[in-house]
Order: sequence, then C-alpha cells, then structure tokens
Amino acid sequence: QTVTIKARQKSLKEFIVSLHENTGYHFIYNSDLLNDAPKVDVAYTNAPLETVLAENFTANGFNYVVNKADKTVILNKKTVSAAAPAAQPVKGVVLDDKGNPVTGATVMVKGTNVATTTNNIGAFTINAPDNSKTLVVIYVGYETQEVPVTGSKVLNIVLKTNSTSLDSVIVIGYGSQKKSNVSYAIASLNSEAITDRAISRVDQALVGQIAGVNVKQTTGLPGKAFSIQVRGSGSISANTEPLYVLDGFPLGQSVQDGTGGFSGGNALDNINPDDIESIEVLKDAAAAAIYGSRGSNGVVLITTKKGKVGKARIQVSGSAGYNEANRKVDMLNGEEWADRATEMINAAYVSAYGSRGATAQDDRDKRISIIGANNISYIPDPRWAQPGHPGLRYVDWQDEIFRKGLQQNYQVSASGGSSNVNYFFSVNNIRQEGIVIGTSNNLYSARANVEANFNQKLKLGINLSPSYSLLRDPGVEGKDVIFHQALNMTPIVEDSAGLYTNTYGNNPYNWAVQFNSPVQKALNQVGETKRFRTVASVYGIYTIIKGLNFKTSVNVDFSNSNYTRYVPYTVSNLLNVRNSQTTVNTSGGYQTNNYQAFVNENTLNYTRNLTGGHNLNVLLGQSYNNFTSDNSAMNSVGGYTNAYVKTLNYAAGIQGRTSASQNILLSYFSRVQYAFRSKYLFSGSIRTDGSSRFGENTRWGVFPAASVAWKMSEEPFIRSIDKISDLKLRISYGVTGNNNIGDFSATATTASYGYVFGSTQAPAIGQAPNRLPNPNLKWEKSATTDIGLDVGLFKGRITASFDYYNRLTRNMLMNVAVPEVTGFQIALDNVGQVRNKGWEIQLSTKNIVIKQLQWTTNVQLAHNSNKVVALGSGQTQILVPSLYTTVANTVLKVGESINSIYVIKRIGTLTQDDINAKVARYGAQTVGDARYEDYDRNGIIDAGDRQVVGHPNPDYTWGVTNTLNYKGFDLRVLVQGQVGGSIYSILGRAVSQTGFGYIYNQLGDYRDRWRSPENPGSGVRDKAYSTFGSIVNTDWLYSSDYLRVRAITLGYDLKTLLKKAGVGSARMFVSLENFFGKDKYYGGANPESANTDLSGNGNYPQSGDYGGLPLAKSLIVGVNLSF
Amino acid sequence: CKRSLDVVPPSSGTTKIFYLNQEDFLQGVAAVYNGLRAYPDRLMNLSETRSDNLYAASVLGTQPYDAINSFRRNAVSNVYVEAAWNDDYNAIFRANYFLEQLELKGNIISSEVLRNRLGAEVRFLRAFYYFDLVRYFGKVPLVVKTVLPGEAVTIPRTPVAEVYAQIIEDLKYAMEVLPASYTGADVGRATRYAAGSLLAMVYMARSGATYSIEGPGLASNEWTEALRLINEVINSKVYTFNTNYASIFSYANQNPNVNKEAVFDVMHVSGLNPVLGASFVSLTVPDSYFTTVLQKPAQLGGAGRPTSFDLYRTYDTAVDVRAKTNFLLYYTALGIPGNRPYLRKYMDSTKVPVNIRDWGINFMAIRYTDVLMLKAECILQGAAGGTQEEVDSIVNLVRTRAKIAPVSGVTLEQLYQERRRELVGEGSRWFDLQRSGTLVTTMNNWIKTDDDLKQIEPVVKEFVLYPVPQSQLDVRPGLYTQNQGY
Repeated sequence: QTVTIKARQKSLKEFIVSLHENTGYHFIYNSDLLNDAPKVDVAYTNAPLETVLAENFTANGFNYVVNKADKTVILNKKTVSAAAPAAQPVKGVVLDDKGNPVTGATVMVKGTNVATTTNNIGAFTINAPDNSKTLVVIYVGYETQEVPVTGSKVLNIVLKTNSTSLDSVIVIGYGSQKKSNVSYAIASLNSEAITDRAISRVDQALVGQIAGVNVKQTTGLPGKAFSIQVRGSGSISANTEPLYVLDGFPLGQSVQDGTGGFSGGNALDNINPDDIESIEVLKDAAAAAIYGSRGSNGVVLITTKKGKVGKARIQVSGSAGYNEANRKVDMLNGEEWADRATEMINAAYVSAYGSRGATAQDDRDKRISIIGANNISYIPDPRWAQPGHPGLRYVDWQDEIFRKGLQQNYQVSASGGSSNVNYFFSVNNIRQEGIVIGTSNNLYSARANVEANFNQKLKLGINLSPSYSLLRDPGVEGKDVIFHQALNMTPIVEDSAGLYTNTYGNNPYNWAVQFNSPVQKALNQVGETKRFRTVASVYGIYTIIKGLNFKTSVNVDFSNSNYTRYVPYTVSNLLNVRNSQTTVNTSGGYQTNNYQAFVNENTLNYTRNLTGGHNLNVLLGQSYNNFTSDNSAMNSVGGYTNAYVKTLNYAAGIQGRTSASQNILLSYFSRVQYAFRSKYLFSGSIRTDGSSRFGENTRWGVFPAASVAWKMSEEPFIRSIDKISDLKLRISYGVTGNNNIGDFSATATTASYGYVFGSTQAPAIGQAPNRLPNPNLKWEKSATTDIGLDVGLFKGRITASFDYYNRLTRNMLMNVAVPEVTGFQIALDNVGQVRNKGWEIQLSTKNIVIKQLQWTTNVQLAHNSNKVVALGSGQTQILVPSLYTTVANTVLKVGESINSIYVIKRIGTLTQDDINAKVARYGAQTVGDARYEDYDRNGIIDAGDRQVVGHPNPDYTWGVTNTLNYKGFDLRVLVQGQVGGSIYSILGRAVSQTGFGYIYNQLGDYRDRWRSPENPGSGVRDKAYSTFGSIVNTDWLYSSDYLRVRAITLGYDLKTLLKKAGVGSARMFVSLENFFGKDKYYGGANPESANTDLSGNGNYPQSGDYGGLPLAKSLIVGVNLSF
Repeated sequence: CKRSLDVVPPSSGTTKIFYLNQEDFLQGVAAVYNGLRAYPDRLMNLSETRSDNLYAASVLGTQPYDAINSFRRNAVSNVYVEAAWNDDYNAIFRANYFLEQLELKGNIISSEVLRNRLGAEVRFLRAFYYFDLVRYFGKVPLVVKTVLPGEAVTIPRTPVAEVYAQIIEDLKYAMEVLPASYTGADVGRATRYAAGSLLAMVYMARSGATYSIEGPGLASNEWTEALRLINEVINSKVYTFNTNYASIFSYANQNPNVNKEAVFDVMHVSGLNPVLGASFVSLTVPDSYFTTVLQKPAQLGGAGRPTSFDLYRTYDTAVDVRAKTNFLLYYTALGIPGNRPYLRKYMDSTKVPVNIRDWGINFMAIRYTDVLMLKAECILQGAAGGTQEEVDSIVNLVRTRAKIAPVSGVTLEQLYQERRRELVGEGSRWFDLQRSGTLVTTMNNWIKTDDDLKQIEPVVKEFVLYPVPQSQLDVRPGLYTQNQGY
C-alpha cells in the first residue's frame, strides 16, 4: 500500500480523513486523543503507508497497529511509562465458538492503550507490560472477553456469540436504537430464523416466534397471505391487520376482505423472505404511537439486507422438495356411505308407503310395484349390496384431488461495499406446486439496495425491488367449490364415468349429489392471478452539523395484478344442459387491480451525548401518504361463441365496469428519547395525523405516548449481584389509532336505484343517497398501558421478558343501529369499547454452551382476553347476521369476547322416556334425534335457547424453538400452538347437518351413529334419517386448539469438507415444515381456515371456513454457499 | 395542505355533486319509485300470508312466514315485518330528500310544469308509503323532512289521525297537479286518478272498524267522500273493464296504456342488469314445481305456501275461470297436509327468468276492477248517491267475466267473498278484513277449518296490527311503545 498525499497545516484528524480517502483504510481511535495533536505539513508520492504512519504518528506520540486484512489502523497514545517494565510478547489464538479462527479481533492489554489485532489465522502477538495481568478481546457480534495473562503460554481464546445482543442495535419506528436503551415492548426476529428454513413468505417466518403476535395461516393454497393479529383484536368493523413498514416505508393495503383473504393485496405479497435481515414488531402503544392512526393493530418493521464494508460476497442458495396435505377430513367411505344411504332410503320408504304395506326388507321390484315408479328416494342401488359392487367405483375424492407438489427456491445474491458505497443485489425464484392439482405459485423477484456516501455530509440510497408472480387457483377453497364438493360429494360413481362423473359426456351417478367431478373442475377451470409489483425507495441523508441529520425519502409501491377466470361448459351443469347449450354454459372473466402508494417523509434527527452521561435523541418529522387504486372487471354474458378460446373476445357478450379509490394521509410527528447513564430511560412521542377518510370536522387526530424504563442492573446494589446480568423495568402508556375503514365512509355517497317506466317498459336510472353522512367520524383510539420487565441472568445464559398490557379501544368505528326514519338502519359512528388484556413471556436459555455443543431454547407464551366493554347507545348485544343459517350464530355482547359463538347446546339423543317426559323439542323431533338444552326453560327448543358457548380467539398462544449446534451440525425445532379458542364451522354444517339428504357424504363419525335405542352408537351422532330440519347447535362447534411442529431443520456445515479456497461458507440442510401436528377440528381440515364471508354484511365482517384446505407439510433439501 | 385531505370519491356519486341539473332530479324521482319494487312481495308476505287466503304453516314450523300466518308473538323480529318498516321508511327518506332538494335547487328545472309534476309524483309516493305503514303498524313516526340520527331518536310514534292528515294533504296536492295520463317513456308514473283512487282507499280505511285499538280504522264514516273520488276515476273513462280475466295478468299485456285495468302499476322488466324484474311471482309456488315439472332452476318459493281450502272451495272450480288462472294443482312429494293447490296468478311457465328475481311482469297496485268493487263497498256501507243496482251490476260484471252466474241484492258479505275470489294474490284480503270489522271472527273460524297442523294461535283484535320491529325498539329503548298484544 502506497500513499500519495499533500497537506498543509492539517489537523491530525483531517489528515486521517485524507488518509482514509486515499487508502481506504479505516482508522480506529479515540477522538479526544487527537484534540491536542499538532498540525502536520506533508507531501508524499507513492510512499509506503508504514512510512507515512511512522513519520506522522509515532513522531507525534502515538502508537499504531496496522491490520492489512481488515484495512484498519488502530491508533493509541504512546504510553507515557514506556520506560517502565520491559514489555514481553504474549502470543495467542482467537477462535469463535465453532472453532474457526477469528480474523481482525482487537486484543488489548487491560488498563493500557496497548492493542493489536488478530491475523488471518486468528493469531496475535502483543507486547504486554510485565505487570499486566489481563487481556481484553473485542470482536463485533461476540461477547467481549477478559483473559488472564499466564506466563509465556500461548493463549487459546474462544469467543462466544453475543446472543443477548444487549449492545446490538434494533430498528424502531423512524430510526434505530441500542437494544439496551429501549423502553418499549418491541420484539425482533433475525434473519437466521428466516433464511435457515425453507419458507416462501415473510409472514410465514413470524409463525410461533413472537409472544403476542398471532399469525394465522388461513389457507392451504401456496402464495397466499397469512393473517396477523398483534395482541388480540381491538375492532369490530374495522380491519385488524398490523401496519407493515419495509425499510422505513409504511406500506398500505393489507385489508382482510369479507372472506378472510386479501383480494385487494397484502403488503407482504411478492416480498422475498431471503432478502430479510430482521423483523421487529412494535407491540405496545409507546412503540407504535409514532405511527399514529395506523398503530393500533401493531406495527411490523421489516429490514432488508444491506451490503457490508469489505470484500464482495456472493451467496448462492437453492432448495427443493415436495409438499402435500398434512391431513384429511375423516369422511364416510363408499361402503359406509352406502350403509347410511340404505338406512335413510328404507326409513323414507317405510315412512311414505308404510300405509301401503311397505317394509324395509322389500326388494327393488316390490318397491316399484308399491310406489308405481322407480324413485331413487325410496329404492337403493341393488349393486351396493352385491359383492364387488359390479359397475361401480368407490372413490375417496380427497385422495383424488390431493397430490405431492414440487417446491423449489433459488436465490443468488451479491453484496459488499467500500467506505463510499455499499450494495446488496439479489435475484430469486420461488416456485410451489400446491397440494391440490391445478394450484401453484411462482414468484420471481429481484432486489437492489445501494447506499453511497456522496461526501462527508451527504449520503444517498435506493432500495428497489421488482417482482412478478403467477398464482393458479382454479377455485379450490370456499362454498360449493372444489374442496368443499370433494368432501360432500357422493363417494360412489359409475365405473364407466369414473373420475369424469357428471363432466363431459357423463351423467352423475343416479344416487349421487349432482356435483361436477371436483377432479375435472380442478383440471379444467382456470383461475390465474398475475401480479407485477415494484417497491422502491430513494432517500438522502444530510448531516447539517455533527449529530443533526436531515433525511428525506420518496417511496412508491406499484402493484398491478390481473385475474383471469374461465369455466368451460364441460365441467358445469348437468349433461342434458351441457349437450344442448354447450357454449352458453361456458363462462369467463377478467379483472385488474392496480394499486399505487406514494409516500414522502422528511425527518430531522438530532443525537447528542452530553458529558455526565446524558444521551439525547430528538426526532421531528413530516409525512405525506397518497394511496390510490383502480380496478376493472369484465365478465362474459350468455356464454362463449367458441368452446376452446378462453379469452373474453370469444364471449357471447361482455359486461364490464371500472372503479377507483383514493385516500390521503398527512402527518407530523416528533419524539424525544433520553437516557441518563444508560440507567434511566425516557421516551415520549406525539403524532398528528390527518386523513381524507374521516369526517370534515374530525380529520385530525393526536396520538401521544410516553415510556420510562429503569435499568436496575446498572444500580450498584444490583450490579453487585453476580447472577443478575440485566434487569430492566419498563412502563409505557400511549394512544394509537385505527383508520382502516373504507375510503369514503364519512361521505354521503349516492347509489343507483332504478325503476321501469314507459309504454314499452324500459329502465329509468334512479339515484339517491345510500348512506348517512357523518361529518364527525373519527379514528378508533386505543389507549394501551404496558408494564414490562427484562431480565438477564447468569451472564446472559437466561434472558426473559415479561409484559403485561391493557388496551382499551374506544370510539370504535361501528355501524350502529339508528331509527329507520333516518332512511337507514345503520350509520357508521364512533361508539363502543373493546378491551384486550393479556401478558406475554419471552424466555431464552442457553442450556449447554461448550465448545462442541451448544443448545439454546427460546420459549414464547402469550395470553390475551378480549371483551366487548360497551356497544352503541346502551345496547347490550348485537346479533351478527349469518348468511348460511336462518338464525344468527354469533353475538357481540357486552362482557363477552368479540364474535362470541351463540348457539343451542346439544346435550344428547332423545329417548322415548324423554318424549314421554315432554322434554323440550325442536319442531317435529322424534326418538333418535338430537336432544337440545332448553336454555330459556320455556318448554320448546327455538332460537331463544341460544347461549354463548365459545369465542373464536385463542386464550393462549405459544411457541418453543430449540437450537442445537454440534460440531458442523445445526438443528432447529420450532413447535407452536394455541389453546382456548373455538371454531363455529359452516363447513362442519355442510358435512354434519341434521336432516341432510343421503346423497351428500357426511363426516366419518356417522359410522358410529345412533341406529336404534338398542344400538345408540357413540352418542356423538344421532339417527341418519331425521326430518325435523336443523337449527344452529353445538354439532358444528369445534375447539381450535392445535399443536404443530412447524419446522425441523437440520443443517450441516460443509466447509469442513469443502476446503477449497474461495468458499466462504457452505451449509446444506434438510427441513421438515409443518410435518407433525395435532388439532381438534374434526369438521374441517385447518382450524384457522378463512375463505368464506359468513355474515355477508360488511358492518360485521366475519370470515370462516366453508371448505378450507388442510395446510401443506413439506420436506425440503437445500444448500447455501457463499464466496 | 389541509385542503388536500378533501378527496372526492372517484367512483361514486355524493350528495355534494347531485341535484345539479334536471336529469339529476329525474333520477331522484325514479329512486323514490324504486321503493315500490318491494311492495308486491310485501303484500304477499304480510297481507296474503297473514289472511285466510293462504295456509302458510310449514311442516317444520321454522320458516319466516310461519310466524306471520300462525300469529306468533315473536313476529317482532320477523324478517318480513322488519323489511316492511325499513323499506317504506327508506323510500320515505328518498322522497323527503328529493322534496328538500326540489325546494332548494328546483329552479334548475326549466319547466315549471315538470317541476311541479315531479314534486307531486313524489308526494303521491310518500303518501303511498305512509298509507302502507299505517295499515300494517298503526301509529308510526311521521317525518316529512330528512332527519339525522340525533334528531330521529327524539321522534316518537305519531297518532294515526295525524299520519292520515299528512297522507291526505299529499294526495290532494297530487290530484291537483298530476296529469290524467302519460305518453311514451313516462307511462307508468303516478296519475291524477291513481292519486284519487288511493285517496278513496285512504278514506275507506279511515272509515273502517276500530277494533278499539289504535289501528288504521277510525270509523270516520267517510264513505261518501270515497265514493265521490271513485266516481271521478270511473267517469274519467281512462280505464276500462277487461272482459278477459286471464289477459289482465298476461305477460303480453303489460303496457299500462293498453291494459286499461291498470290504474297504478309497479312496473317490471326482465333481463336487465341491475335487475329490474319482479320476485313476488314465485313466492307461493314450491321450488320443486320448477325443478321437477318445468326442469328450471328453483325460484323463491322454498317448500311453497299453499292456498287455504276455505278459499279454494268458494270457487265453483268447474266453471270459474279464475280458479284456473289463479291456482296450480300440483302436489309436492313432501305432502303438505291435504294436498292443497298453490297460488300462481302471475306465473307463466314459459317466462321463467334466469335470475330468480327477474320476472318480467307488472304488479297492479291499483286495479280498475278493485276500484269498481270498492265503489260497491262504499254504497253498501251507506255512501250517499249510490244504489243497490249499481252494486249488483258491478258484482255481476265481475261474475260474468268469471263465467259464473249473476246474482242480485248483493250484501256486504257477498261482496267481500267476491273480492276474495277476484283479488286473491293481489294483497287486498288482509285489509278487506281490517276494514270489515270481521277480521277476528273470520280468522278464528278459518283456523278451525284449515289448520291441519294446529300451529295457528287464536286471533285477537290486537293482531289487526303487526308489531313494531324489535330492531327499531332496540335502537333507543322507550322511544317507541310496542303495539298491544306483542
């Protein structure tokens, strides 16, 4: 290394800057030491660096150590007592906890300024003064170690990873902070928890990891978003998904639709999980209030990877494996179905024709003669009883639609940086075939994160991530579509039709429900979503004076998606209709959804460390958010004119529409963080938000928050306790908001109400207001108190956080009943209160820490209880409308959880004694039918007997991660689960409703049904042939408790095998995702399924399961290499 | 900066940008007419089903119409009862909103004639909706301007007489201003004679029996006034008596200017998007008829609401053409007790729509034959200026058309029976019973003959009215007092 430099009367500090620019070397020194240094006059041309250093530093009373590998120079004041005891060289080697040499670690003699760094094999030699006793070894990411100097022996120093990370920095809203100085409830997840596994979405990584963050996998389809709730649900009508912030860019649009999906898009769609550096979740109000009106549901901060100064690093990773359904729904098989059908047909026959002498033993001919016709309602298929069932095929429809799907993930990334520029580039392809034939997701994404120092004062950066995805779903989840029909479908077909039953040229099986074969539907129907999304941020940071930075950023998120739907006539309708009107029965559609977010934020950040241990950080900011969307939909009318072309240009007619929406959010915010001697911590913030969504009089809201923390472990009386390494008490209070209602809910919009006039009847367009204006409509406001305790014991071997919170949401955005004389039944207003209370424990223990074997355990456990405290104007309950049951089955009731389940309780089976004793019955119930509890004790069973029997949210959620490292192996096991919630399953209704015809297949527990008073079965299922109808009851109520082994990942460090130069690291792994588990949801496949709008009413959004797929379990093998 | 928060909805109209031109006002009126679209279903559900015309008791006893026909007291939460209150008040809101805007910005409408006519049409409709409410619920809160929720919770139910006063004022205004008829694209709008006929009906309802409840009847003895109004309608010669019963309800005879029986139609047309067809047609016909006999998709009837024996037996089914037109002899496999016929008056099996709510047939809200028979009723009730000969001739006109023998010296009871046979499915029966004063006895006698399933509660005078819907009582407890008997 040579230097060419000229300088006149430069201070030593300025000279160092020039040297740095000239050589790229970093200088590490205590700035105070240079204050009194003399100015220098130099002129070098291609002089060796050593010479320059010697002439300028040694001469001025400094020691220096040059580390060529790391390109660093460490400066120290020459010890004054240089003449004192002669220094003697101490030698040693520094290794990491895996036994690899650590290059570039700083080794210092304690109490002196003597220091050196380790070389590329981790070795060092230091001239320690004779009387020195201890060496200090410092290396970023590892715990600082003190090592006694013992004679002339070569020291073997092993560093431990700094997993308590107390000195690490974590991301907070609009900035970052030393973790030890945080006074809020923030939880974080680092990249290893993401990239070491085989996952395909960012939200998937959060499952079971963070206490109080409940991640629901609501669908078994690949590529679809998860639903996340932070600390319970605090809203009835408004959305409860958290705000996602990607590298400082608050994303929009993660609104759960009525069916529980994200048809309008989810903020995490198309974001590549392999690009993630860390995820932080702001849980309490003090942390989230800096996001004001969007903070109530929690804030998830996602940080992507950045390049690090140093050599360019190229990483290549690839994984592949399969996924398949993790379970099935237990349905009757062909034999069992035929058994039940025969029983029901006989009972119906005897009931209808008993007066003409019909008995259950009558054969087909006798029945025909009694009935006078061949009627399948009264005559079973004789082949059911024949051995081998000639001409019939018994089918398990679930087996036919499920498959093993291939899953792959490939990524190449390059990162690196110099002192002026750092960069991270990646390209990625994730492709998944779903567990059902015809389903898949394929995502291509790329990312460029580049940051450049323009000069000393100005830094510019860009994060750019384009992506394209193609998701195929022929219509699998939901009511009357493939999976629901595969369950309800008769498990017997004519052998001649087979899996083509009731499609193409085949009739349905005579005794079967007239569904089209779900296999053919999956293969022939088209449902394709193509999404092109670009998320881009450009920012500049300007240092005005030391400690004061101005940052401005412009962020855009463009997402364009289109959806193509096509159903050919071959898999719809009945054969005679298919044949007579082929192209009429073909239908198709095309929809587009374009979404644009534009966010400009400007912040001033001032940091000052005052003498006496005062640390101050002040933030001032302003933000402008503009979200627009437009969409279009076209559908075929009257079929297609061609049986092969799928695009709408061949539709007989087209119906189309377009629509658009917009909202604007304007904000001003500020925050002060203050720490005194890192012991007493204070933070206060305030944000003012103005949104176009709210009433003219109430556009602006104020969201203050404050928190204090006391690091007791810094107090001498705790410090003296050796076992306690960290102890911090946190208390916070703050107000956050929820603005997740539609864009123009406060405005009196008009809608179309047509009529017919004319001597030739013709439509007349009518228009009138369709809702009441509410100029006073404002945010939901949540006030949250949080008390937390962070504990570290035994030098960080055990760390734990405990939080208690109490969140009261007021002014809920709710559609309240108003007198109809206003013209409307409801008006959106701010009424009602909901309280979420709970606690969380996050515990991390290092069970074994020896050189060969490390074992750590992370445990998270959270409890939440959710209660409606008040509804509008003295109301005590609201029955949530139900689309699928004639009486409501869900209630909003003061004192109960949101959306409590409100149904009649089944308490057994009716016996003759019951009937003699005149127990309450529902309609025309007879012996062998269900016995229900007469809750209101009025002698009959009706809707008045409903009672609260459960609530949808779990009481407890938990997760345990165990990590083991043994030699080159690493093993990570994540087990998680939930307890205490219930599902009221509308799918359960479809597969176990009383009074359903025999044609439908029903749950497997009907094999042990009530058959006669002598043969009452298991007591769970009543008689097959019941004629009293049905009422909402506990038959369809299931516990949502589950336990899942979410991930088992076994990795092996190949570096020991690949001794080739150039390979920086190499790991191969095998990962079992969601492979084992257990749940109590007998009437469905996934306790967290959401695919159907149950209320059919946007005022009381409630989604649930009507044919949700099981989750996928997968086995993936992969390799990560870096060069 | 703050102004940038005023974002205008790009995809929906708002009240701020509405009523800015003449076309807006025409659309505003059409939206008030739109409220009529729920009217025929309401008559089916609340008049026909409650009366002795249908036996709407299901085997399971759990259908929404069970509570109506079986006089259950829990009908306070019944969907049909809720819908009646809600739909009428929603339409009244639109009318009030329109009239306020007409007052404020009506000058945009260049023609004063048109401006006045639109106002009169809307006042006719407001009276129409209030009259509907009074006949079902008795006292109802009277609002003649738009009210926000804060004010609405201070408005209690208004005495029936005051509601009638408003109805009469609106209808008198409408009679003055509205034209006798329309041409071309305006055909189907309210006319002077529609208003006159409706006002006659209002007077007749007021003159009906009181049952000592705060119901629609005030025993006000305004038969003479009603007769005068009816004679004006008849003497206008705008309407003629159609001698072919079936053609009155024919899909080929829908133009109100051609179908001279139509004094006021609720107009429908099939095949449009959004749907502007009718749904009342199939309410009484079982789904299985469509699926098995016609091989068509199920419609709205469910298991069906069969006709009462008591009604069907009053026809001379061998000769009465109305029996064939009005009923379907179809027996369901499930077997409603006694295998009764179904009411199918408006159903043409060749016109089954693709969408179940899209039948292309008008509903005659006021039919000329009905007006004639109301005249006979006024005379029999003692209205000045009428004779028994007039009564007999009206009834015989109807009977002759039905191909049954003429009669003479028609009594009030005979007239009501003829009305029942003639007007079944048109929603008059329950109101005829209300007016006649015989509702309680007639219904209780009918229960004895028809209630095979023994589901119907004994009828008491309080059942002349429906209960105020529970949802309205719940909004502000104490604001509305519930009708007695519920």
